[in-house]
Amino acid sequence: MAENIKTANYDALVIGAGIAGGEAALNLANNGFSVLLVEKDLSIGGKMILLSKVFPTLDCAACITTPKMSEISRHHGITIFTGSEVQKVVKKSENSFEAVVIKQPRYVVEDDCTACQLCEQACPVVVKDQYQYNLVGRKAAFIPFSIASPRVAAIDIENCTLCGACEKVCPTKCIDFTMEAEEYHITAGAVIVATGFRLFDPLKIPRYGYGQYKNVLTSMEMERQLAPTRPFNTVLRPGDGKVPDKIAYVLCTGSRDATVGNPICSQICCMYSIKQAQLLMGSLPMADVTIYYINIRSFGKGFEEFYEQAKGMGVNFIKGKIGKITEKENGNLILRYEDINENKLKESEHDMVVLSVGVLPNTDAAGIFREQKLEFDHLNFVGQKDPLASPAETNIKGVFVAGTASGPMDIPDSILSAGAASSEAMRYLIRK
Amino acid sequence: MEVEKGKTHKYLREKREVPETVKENLKHFTRVKKSILESLRDGEMTIDQLTQKLGMPKSEVVFFLMTLIKYGFVETGQIDDMDEYYSYKLKQ
Repeated sequence: MAENIKTANYDALVIGAGIAGGEAALNLANNGFSVLLVEKDLSIGGKMILLSKVFPTLDCAACITTPKMSEISRHHGITIFTGSEVQKVVKKSENSFEAVVIKQPRYVVEDDCTACQLCEQACPVVVKDQYQYNLVGRKAAFIPFSIASPRVAAIDIENCTLCGACEKVCPTKCIDFTMEAEEYHITAGAVIVATGFRLFDPLKIPRYGYGQYKNVLTSMEMERQLAPTRPFNTVLRPGDGKVPDKIAYVLCTGSRDATVGNPICSQICCMYSIKQAQLLMGSLPMADVTIYYINIRSFGKGFEEFYEQAKGMGVNFIKGKIGKITEKENGNLILRYEDINENKLKESEHDMVVLSVGVLPNTDAAGIFREQKLEFDHLNFVGQKDPLASPAETNIKGVFVAGTASGPMDIPDSILSAGAASSEAMRYLIRK
Repeated sequence: MEVEKGKTHKYLREKREVPETVKENLKHFTRVKKSILESLRDGEMTIDQLTQKLGMPKSEVVFFLMTLIKYGFVETGQIDDMDEYYSYKLKQ
């Protein structure tokens, strides 16, 4: 690989191509700056591109994300590396950063792929589809999801049997198993860290039974079930394919809970759960949806009205803390909880339980910055030098943070944060 | 080694061995796919009926059945009178 090192120069390097990274890259490029946008996944769009709808407007998430991703992909000022990771960034001088980026082989020549999906049909291998949160299978030769950007096939080499079926059917002969990882040495004037967040892993709370009881889902699994590109024909229990009738949401799963190492509020769980409850009542009109909460935090514009709308639609809200979830023989789940208002221990039976998992910091950027280390706050989010006056600045001059890499926030706030990061990066670049 | 376009998998096969777990996974899926498709040849079936016939956990039947729907082998049929369980049939 060392023999094939490639070099390139950009005004800015943006790490992470979710909604914040994409927005920051677009702002910079629209102002005449050249941008390298690096994404470790096979598609840009981050978590937002996988959502069903957004709160509190109930706009289709894909309808908002797809045009934006298309604009980013087509912009002549933006170069996108998917399936790539920034290995290290070193500040050489003011307005000069050197980065090493490793681009993993996709085994498909991107420019030649027509997304015909013939390779996918021919591939005999089925593994769990990570883009559908393992609810359904995908092939080893696959297009990540229907609105992926770039909409280009990839080969999951770890699960490929090297049978050659995909190559035989490919009309453009764009599958190339001779591809190897490529190393790029990048010079950039500024860096934006937009590495996003991780979702809490509910396996860390065994009393909720996630992983053990098939009808206990995470909110992202439910999000996929509600999306137009969903894994099933309708909302179904993964345990037995039953259309659920009584559905429970457990808020604050892995948020506001010091025992699992995340003492803060994730800011989005109340509202996305209320959104999902409304969508569920739309797709399953006879369903009975109950949300178990500690406090409802409807703090944003239109959030309180959205909460009232859910109550008006018949969503039940119970101020209660869940002690334990157990499973009955028929797959139904018994929730044992403390009814906070009545100060009583109660039990309730549901067909399906959705755990509203919280937001955790993504510390992927921690090891990237060499020599001058990037500082993180006490919760492990990227540290903001001056959160009130200059929220995008980090401890390294010329390195800025955008979106949920700096803390939990919803989509509009991520966009605003990306705007701030790109503006501060432009100011830094112009000053040189 | 000269690599012919359209046959590049042979190049990687020389350099890399396919793990046993991957081969086993392929065999398992092929076996399950065959069993589900053969079962549905006799007519529409629910997940519960398929589970009993195949002797597999219900959640596994759901996973593989939904995958077969995704790739166009099976389609969703009618829902039962209680509006709880769908039946599934071979795609014509």
